[in-house]
Amino acid sequence: MRRYVQAPGPIGEYSGLPLWQRAAPLDLVYVGYGLLVVAVVAASYLLGTFGWLPDDPQRVNVALINAAPFTSGHVLGTDFLGRDLQARLILGIQAYFLPGLLAITISVVGGCVLGILAGYRGGWFDTIITYFDNLIDSFPRLVLILLVIAAFRPDMYYIMVVVGITSMPAIASLIAGKIAFLRQKNFIEAAHALGLPARTVILKHILWFNCRALLVIQATLGMAEAILIETSLSYLGFGVQEPTPSWGNMVQAGANYFLQGRFWPSTAPALAILATILGFQLLGDGLNNLLEGKRRK
Amino acid sequence: MDAPVLSGVEGPLLAIENLRTYFYSRAKRAFIRSVDGVSLGVARGETLGIVGESGSGKSVTALSAAGLVTAGPGVISGRIELRTNGTGYNLLEGLEKYARVTEQDGRVMAVEKDERGWRTHSEQLMAGVRGKKIAMIFQNPRSALNPYSTIGKQLVETIRLHTNFRGRREAKERAIHWLERVRIDSPRLRFDNFPFGMSGGMCQRAMLAMALSAEPSLLIADEPTTGLDATIQSRVVDLLAELKAGTGVATILISHDISVIQRLSDRIAVMYGGTVVETGRAEEVLAPEVVVRHPYTAALLASIPNAETIRRKSYLQAIEGDVLDTIDVPRGCRFYGRCHRVTDAIRENCAGLEPPLAEVAPGHKVRCWLYAAAGKA
Amino acid sequence: MKLSAIKPVSRVLARELAVTALLLLGVSVVVFGILYLAPGDPLNILLEGQSPRSDLALGMREALGVSRTWHGQYATWFGKLLQGNFGNSIRTGLPVLPELARVGVNTLYLTLGSLAFTLLIAVPIAVHAAAHGDTAGNTVATLVAYIFSAVPVFWFGYIVVYVFIHQLGMFPLISGTATRQGHAWLYFLVPIFVLGIASGTLSEMIRHLREELSRVLAEDYIRTARAKGAPVWRHAFKEGFLIPVTEIMSAKIPFLLGGAVIVEQVFNWPGMGRMAWQAAQDRDFPVIMGIALVAAAFVRLGNLLQRVVFTAVNPRASKE
Repeated sequence: MRRYVQAPGPIGEYSGLPLWQRAAPLDLVYVGYGLLVVAVVAASYLLGTFGWLPDDPQRVNVALINAAPFTSGHVLGTDFLGRDLQARLILGIQAYFLPGLLAITISVVGGCVLGILAGYRGGWFDTIITYFDNLIDSFPRLVLILLVIAAFRPDMYYIMVVVGITSMPAIASLIAGKIAFLRQKNFIEAAHALGLPARTVILKHILWFNCRALLVIQATLGMAEAILIETSLSYLGFGVQEPTPSWGNMVQAGANYFLQGRFWPSTAPALAILATILGFQLLGDGLNNLLEGKRRK
Repeated sequence: MDAPVLSGVEGPLLAIENLRTYFYSRAKRAFIRSVDGVSLGVARGETLGIVGESGSGKSVTALSAAGLVTAGPGVISGRIELRTNGTGYNLLEGLEKYARVTEQDGRVMAVEKDERGWRTHSEQLMAGVRGKKIAMIFQNPRSALNPYSTIGKQLVETIRLHTNFRGRREAKERAIHWLERVRIDSPRLRFDNFPFGMSGGMCQRAMLAMALSAEPSLLIADEPTTGLDATIQSRVVDLLAELKAGTGVATILISHDISVIQRLSDRIAVMYGGTVVETGRAEEVLAPEVVVRHPYTAALLASIPNAETIRRKSYLQAIEGDVLDTIDVPRGCRFYGRCHRVTDAIRENCAGLEPPLAEVAPGHKVRCWLYAAAGKA
Repeated sequence: MKLSAIKPVSRVLARELAVTALLLLGVSVVVFGILYLAPGDPLNILLEGQSPRSDLALGMREALGVSRTWHGQYATWFGKLLQGNFGNSIRTGLPVLPELARVGVNTLYLTLGSLAFTLLIAVPIAVHAAAHGDTAGNTVATLVAYIFSAVPVFWFGYIVVYVFIHQLGMFPLISGTATRQGHAWLYFLVPIFVLGIASGTLSEMIRHLREELSRVLAEDYIRTARAKGAPVWRHAFKEGFLIPVTEIMSAKIPFLLGGAVIVEQVFNWPGMGRMAWQAAQDRDFPVIMGIALVAAAFVRLGNLLQRVVFTAVNPRASKE
C-alpha cells in the first residue's frame, strides 16, 4: 500500500526542497554512518599519532589473556598476550591511514589527468588510455602486489603506489564519461565559444563544478579498497609485523585461538575491519545515490 | 458518457468513463493530474482522433486503456468497458479495492493504492486483451522494436501468440503476407532485417503489421507519424487509411498534428489539460464555417498554416500563454488563462467553476461556459 | 544467428582476438618492466636459469646470447615464455609452468565456483529488486549483501571452518588432509562458499545487475512487448540479463583471483594463490612472475569470452 498525499496550499512551495529532505532515507542513513566512521577513523588516527591511547598496546599481561570486554579497565578486552585490544585497534589505524591517503591521492590525480586527456583531447589519446585501462585491469591486484613484493620489498608505501596506479583507470573512465556527457550537452563548446581558456574550462568548469562529487565518491571507495588491501596483506604476513598491531595481523594471530574457543582476539579486529570498510563503502554509495543518481522529480 | 453517433445496437466497442490517471511529484509534493476525468467512446470500425498538445493527457489515456501505466499512483478511478462478441467487461474491474481516493472540495488530495496488487490483478484482466483485442503502436518506431531480434521474429511472435497460425512455417508466411500488406519492399528479405538497419518509416510499417497481424478489434496509434520525415508521414497516413478500410479495425488515433487527424478520423476528441474539451464528428469539429466550437479548438485550427495564410504572408497565429501544467490545475475552466472569447457574463464562471461537457448539436459536445446553457451534458 | 551474419561476426572476433593479443603483450611488458627495475637483477638469474654459468665472463655471456640491452633481454625473455619456459622456482628448483598447470586447476575451480555461487545469490535479489522495486525484502537482502562484502574474507573463512569442525566434527579440515568419511565432498564446497559470499563482489554484482535490468525494463521495446501481450522476460533477457551477467562475471574475475590468494591460505588449498604467497615470502620471482602472467591471461580469456557473447547477441556489433 502506498500513500500519496498532496500537500495543502499552493503548489510550488515545496519545489526545490533541500537535498536532505528529498533524498531516500536509506541513503541518508548510509551517508550518516559513513561520516561517523570517517570521523572515528580520523580521530583514532590522531590519537594513535600522539600516543594518547587508553593503555599501552604492547604491555603484555599474562594474567589477563583473552579477557572479555570490560574486564578490569580494558574496554574491549585483551588479546592472547593480555595486551589491551582497544589500544591495539586504535594503533592499527596507523597502518593504513597514511598509505591509504597516498593511494587515493595517486588514483584521483592520475585518474583526472588520464581522464581529461582521454575525454578532452580524445582521438589517439583516448585509444591509448583505454588500452592502458584494460591493461591495468588485467591483473588481479593482490597478485600484482605480490609480484612487486617479490621483486622489491614489502613496503606498504610501495604497495599503495601500486594500488593507486591500479585504481586510476576506473576514475579516468568516469571522468572521460563525464566529459563525453558534457560535450553532448554542448557545454564544452559553449565554454569555448565564450572564449574561456582551456585550463579554466578543465579545472574550474569540468573538474570542480561537475566532477567533484564523483571524485569524492571515488576517493571514499578507494579508501575502502586500500584498507582491504592493507589488512589482507598484513594477514598474509607482508605488512606490518608483530608486535606492531595491524588489524590484519591481529586477525591472523588471534585465529590460532579459535580451536580453544577464544574468538574475541580475532573477531574484534575483524569487526573493526568490517565496520570501517562498510562505512567507507556505504558513504561512497550513499553519496553516489544522492549526488549522482538519476534525478527523480 | 459520450455515446458515439455511429453506435450499433450493441453499443460502443470501447467506452472510457471518467478515467483518472494521476502521477506524483515528490519534489513538489503534488499530484500530476494527467488524465482528470476523461470519457470517450469508440464504435466498431470507427476511427476516433484525439488531438491536443503535449501534456494534454492523450497518450496517458491510451496507455491507461492498454494497462501500460507503471508509475505511481497511475490509474486511480474510472471504468473502461470493452465490448466484444456481445459481452462487455470492465478492464478496470475491481480498481476500487486497490485504490482509495480522498477528495477535498471536489479535488483529489490523497490516494492510497496497492500498486503491486493492482498490477497483478490488472495483468490478469488484460491477459487475452492486450495484443489480441487491443493492439497499440507507438511513437519512435525504431526504439519501440526489439533491437536484438529481427522484425520477422517479432512479427511471428505476435502471430503465434494471437492467431490460429501456430506452426512456424505458416506463421512465417503470414508474417510475410502482412509485410507485403504494409507495403514493405522485398518482404522475404526484410523478414531477417534488424530494426537498426531499417528506416523510421519502414519500422513504423513493421509495427503496424505486427499490431494488425493479430487481427485486433481496436488499434491504438499513439503519435504514429511524429518523428518521421514529412514525406514519410504522409505515406504512413495513406497506409493507415488503406488498412483501416481493408481490415475494418476500430482505431484510436492520437496526434498533435491536426492534418493527420483530419485525414483519418471519423470522430474527434480535443483534449486540453487532462480533460476532453470538445468532441464530435470530424466534419463538424473541424469545418471552417462552424462557429460553435471550443475556443481552444478554434485557436488550434487558426494556428495551422494553410495555403491562404501563406499566400497572404500573414503571421502564424500562436496561442498565447503556456500549456497547462497538470500539476497546478486551476479551479475554473482550464483554458481560462489563454482564452480570447471570455465575456463578462461568464467570466465569473470561467474563473471559478469547471464547465460541464454540453451538447451543442447532435453528437457534438463542447466544454465551455459560452455554450453550457445550451444543452445538457 | 543466420549464415549471412557469420562472416562479419568472425571479422569482429578476429579484431577481439587481436586486441586480446595486444593486451597480453602489454601484460608481458609490465611484468618484464617490474623485473627489470627490481634490485638484484632477477632477470639475469631468470634468463640464465637453465644453465647457470655465472662464472663465465661478460664477453662469454654475450656470446652465449644473453643480451645486455633491455629490448634484447625482453626478446630473450619473451621468447622463452613462448616456448613455455617460465624459469625454475628458486625454492624448489622445479620448472615453473608445469607446476602452475598442476595447481592452477584448483584455483580455477575455486574462482569459477565462487563466481557461480555469488551469481546464485545475486541474481534472485537483483531480478526481484528490478521487477518489484524497493521492497522490505530486497532492501534487507541488499544491506546484508553489503555487510558480507565488507567482511574480511580471511576471518570469515576461519569462522566457517570453525563451525564445520565444531558442528560437523570434520577434524583435520585446516591441514588439508583427508577428512572423515562421507563428508569429504563438503570440503570442496566450503572454500567456494566462503569466497563466493565474502569476496567483496556480491554487493556490486547485485547493484550492476539490478541497474541494468531496471534500465532495460524501462525501454520502449519492452513496453511494446507488454502491449502485444508477449512475455516480457523473453525480450528483456538478452540486454537485461545475459549481457550484464557476462559483463560482471568477466569484470570480477580479477577480484576473485585476488580473493583466492587469501582463501587458499585459510584452507591450505593447494592452488596458485597459495603458491603466490609462498613465492612472495621467498622472493621466488620466477614463480610469482609466472602466476602474474597466467592470472592476467586468464582474465583476458574471460574478457574475450564475454566479448564473444556480446557480439553473438548484439546485431549491431557485427556491423561495425
